[in-house]
Amino acid sequence: MAQNKLRILILDDEPIVCKRLKPALEKLGYEVDTFTRSFEAMQAVEKARYDIIVTDLKMEGMDGMRFLQEAKKLYPETEVIVITGFATMETAKESFKKGVFDFIAKPFNLNEIQKVVQRAADKIRGTAT
Amino acid sequence: MAALQKLWRKVFKPPGGDLVAFPEVFEHFQELLEDHQKVMEIIADLGEKSGGDFIFDRKYLQDSINELHALLLHLVKGLNLISSNRYLDLYATLDSIFVPLEAELRGRLSLAAEMPFTVALAELPVDHPELTGGKAATAGEIRQRLHLPVPEGFVITTRAFRHFLEQNRLESRTHALISAWLADEADTLQTSRQLQYGILAGVVPQEVAREIRRRTEKAPFWAVRSSAYGEDGELSFAGLHESLLQVPPRGVLDAYKKVVASLFSPAALDYRRRMDMLGEEAAMGVLCQEVIASRASGVVHTLTLEAPERDCLTIYAYPGLGRPVMDGRARPDCFVVERQAPHKVRSREVFPKEYLVRPAPGGGEEEVAPHPDDRERPAIGYETIQTLAHWAMSLERYFKRPQEIEWAEGQASQVWVLQSRPLAFSQIPAAPKVEVASLTVRYPILLQDQGVVAHAGVGAGPVFLVQSDADLGKFPEGAVLVTRYTAPWLARVVPKAAAIVSERGSPAGHLATIAREFRVPTLVGVERATDVLKEGMEVTVDTNDRLVFAGRVQELLSFELMESTAFEDAAEFRLLRRILKRIAPLHLVDPQDPEFNPEGCSSVHDVIRFVHEKAVQELMDLPRFLKRFKGAQLWTLVSEIPIGLKIWDLGGGIGPEARGNEVTAAQIRSLPLKTLWEGVCAPGMWSTEPIQVDFQGLMSSLTRTTEAATAAGFNLAVITNTYLNLHLRLGYHFNLVDARMDPDPHHNHIYFRFVGGVTDLTRRSRRAKLLADILSKYHFKVDTKGDLVIARILHLPQEEIRRRLLVLGQLIGFTRQLDMQLKSDEDVPVFTEKFLEGLRPLGDTEAP
Repeated sequence: MAQNKLRILILDDEPIVCKRLKPALEKLGYEVDTFTRSFEAMQAVEKARYDIIVTDLKMEGMDGMRFLQEAKKLYPETEVIVITGFATMETAKESFKKGVFDFIAKPFNLNEIQKVVQRAADKIRGTAT
Repeated sequence: MAALQKLWRKVFKPPGGDLVAFPEVFEHFQELLEDHQKVMEIIADLGEKSGGDFIFDRKYLQDSINELHALLLHLVKGLNLISSNRYLDLYATLDSIFVPLEAELRGRLSLAAEMPFTVALAELPVDHPELTGGKAATAGEIRQRLHLPVPEGFVITTRAFRHFLEQNRLESRTHALISAWLADEADTLQTSRQLQYGILAGVVPQEVAREIRRRTEKAPFWAVRSSAYGEDGELSFAGLHESLLQVPPRGVLDAYKKVVASLFSPAALDYRRRMDMLGEEAAMGVLCQEVIASRASGVVHTLTLEAPERDCLTIYAYPGLGRPVMDGRARPDCFVVERQAPHKVRSREVFPKEYLVRPAPGGGEEEVAPHPDDRERPAIGYETIQTLAHWAMSLERYFKRPQEIEWAEGQASQVWVLQSRPLAFSQIPAAPKVEVASLTVRYPILLQDQGVVAHAGVGAGPVFLVQSDADLGKFPEGAVLVTRYTAPWLARVVPKAAAIVSERGSPAGHLATIAREFRVPTLVGVERATDVLKEGMEVTVDTNDRLVFAGRVQELLSFELMESTAFEDAAEFRLLRRILKRIAPLHLVDPQDPEFNPEGCSSVHDVIRFVHEKAVQELMDLPRFLKRFKGAQLWTLVSEIPIGLKIWDLGGGIGPEARGNEVTAAQIRSLPLKTLWEGVCAPGMWSTEPIQVDFQGLMSSLTRTTEAATAAGFNLAVITNTYLNLHLRLGYHFNLVDARMDPDPHHNHIYFRFVGGVTDLTRRSRRAKLLADILSKYHFKVDTKGDLVIARILHLPQEEIRRRLLVLGQLIGFTRQLDMQLKSDEDVPVFTEKFLEGLRPLGDTEAP
């Protein structure tokens, strides 16, 4: 797995989400940057390419929806994983059928998201079965 | 509007009206059971989320609380519907629980009027750093959770601080001065001087001053320390705020103002500006502690900063008070000690002592030359080194970060923890990046992807298998607790454990709750754990990745310690824990307790317990019941055991082949009733021989007869295919069993209550003791009070519930007239043994 590390960007306005996800994904061998403000995440995406983006949908400022559209425009091959509240899950799925790798409902456990990220990584590396 | 009126009438039917008709009661009772179940599931879910394996947000908390509120309103309404509105008080109870809950969620509760101006360390509410400040919150946790000796004292809260500002009209002034400074209209020094002057010239409000005077009378000298909100947390204000030592009681009020004023020292102002914290309101709690007249004092670093890879901790020690070392005027002795027990001393440096500081007789401190014999002698001995090393590791295990611990050794050699904070690294050691994939090459994986996380984290140590409570005394500090069941009696070794792995149990169980309280990484439901993990084997448990490695995975341990933040200290988890405290604990266990009323309910769990008990009681009221249930199908159980049990089937509990109004045991489909009855009827358990009554037993049985005869009621089982609520009056004692046996373990529980008897209280209490002993062996959580026994167990698979219901049935038979025979305390173990002997021939019921 140690060839070149895949880069992951995490965007969620609740700091706890970033704090918990970062070490959990780093331990699997990814390079992880986290953001709680969408405009800062946008700046980061403009500077460098990320292989995987994990983003919440509803946030203050530019919302997650716009962020991921912009990011996809820049790098269409980036895989996007959307995390969202349980209640807004259906709407989220409805509006993002295209272009989103997977959805995860909050609250979720670390194992769940690790698995989804691994699947996205397999797809990127072309090792998906 | 009309709809509202209709609802009103429906909810508030005038009391004393006609009894509610059977079909309605039936429906409400079923709804009550369902709601009860749902509430229990939400409580379990919230508890599980506090273990760190899940990522949740505020929205989740808000949704859960809204759902709980709706369910409880529905439950209370349901109870009032079947009881002709006799429990309208419960609506006020719900308000008293949910209003503060909502306030917690909005985040402004702690400074509300209900919070005190001062609070003793021993009673400090944990998880409220915004009330007490960081330093005091930590001291409270060390004392209450880890039970380490911390000098007595109290906290002057941030609420007192705000009151002080209000009373002296300093709020708007402070705000204006800071705004001007931020706009560069005034320099730091000048701003600081003006802010501090305002505080030092202020008057401590009467009601605050009175409390401080009352509390400081107790000791001759006090340490008055800053405990700002945010201090010692993720941001380190170390040294920025004032702390005053050796303050006599009459000086504490002035010292308080000095410490508060240090919130606005030039250094503190600059620091907060640099950290972008000026937007938040600064608040100062002040921690007052009795001064230890120390023979030696110093600091422990749980990591040796010069060589973190050495797996050692460092103890610095100097005779007398710590001042010379803090001021950098003296070199302390230095002991480098292995972090792992038995904490071997790797190296030590002892320096000559030129002078030391000790408390002056009239207050303050004085400098003296040490006794010539002590000049070259180490400041502390072997015992103290061992104690400190041992405590330091407990503190680090609990706070999940390397710690810097201030300690003192008293004149009689007893050691005290003064405070503990995250160790600040001057040069940050290169972050030890760890990838699980690379670890597995060096450390064989013993268990993988098994079980459920009850508390997240990483812990390592030798495996210690616990089979029975006899093993507990030998449990070594820092071992990995491996067990088959999460029995409640394991609780007492939890604080010592580096990690816990159990084969059974759920993250909502009692042991999981305790593990979270002590922050011990815990995996439950790990099959074959006791086969794979052998006694004495060194293992590393990583619950984040649900892995158990052979050996001590140092890379992983350092990664957890240095790299990842302790989720337990995140604001979200504190909030969840504060919320849980108003939801999950069950205070109302005993329905005979005078506190068992709506006002006595102080948590969500209490309310649903109360509603459930009262709903069942409504049904048990015989005359009303018969009037009400005319036309309802009540079955009578035909059995060799003559207790005239009536059965009310709410669905699926009786086989379709049953005719008339009598059923046989074979026709019962309700799993819990069927199982329990099997136990009751087990050969040899239902004693039919007449019991020899001695004189004392006879006399008290005569006097108690009249008392007991007035208690109405009859033997009734309310059942469904997987549920049982059984009220059984046998002679003069009373059994209640409430149980569910569902394929999903999370729905399952047994609640058993046993009370009364015909003999005197001493004998009845002996029977209670016997029941408690036996039920504990089966991992029930048991509480006894006099002759009352309450036993609970949760979330076991159907088969495990089955085994326990069988035992319970047998116990009900066995103990029926046992109080007569328990003539002395020595009889208790004899009969316990007799019962357990009696079980063995039955096959699958050996004590696990």
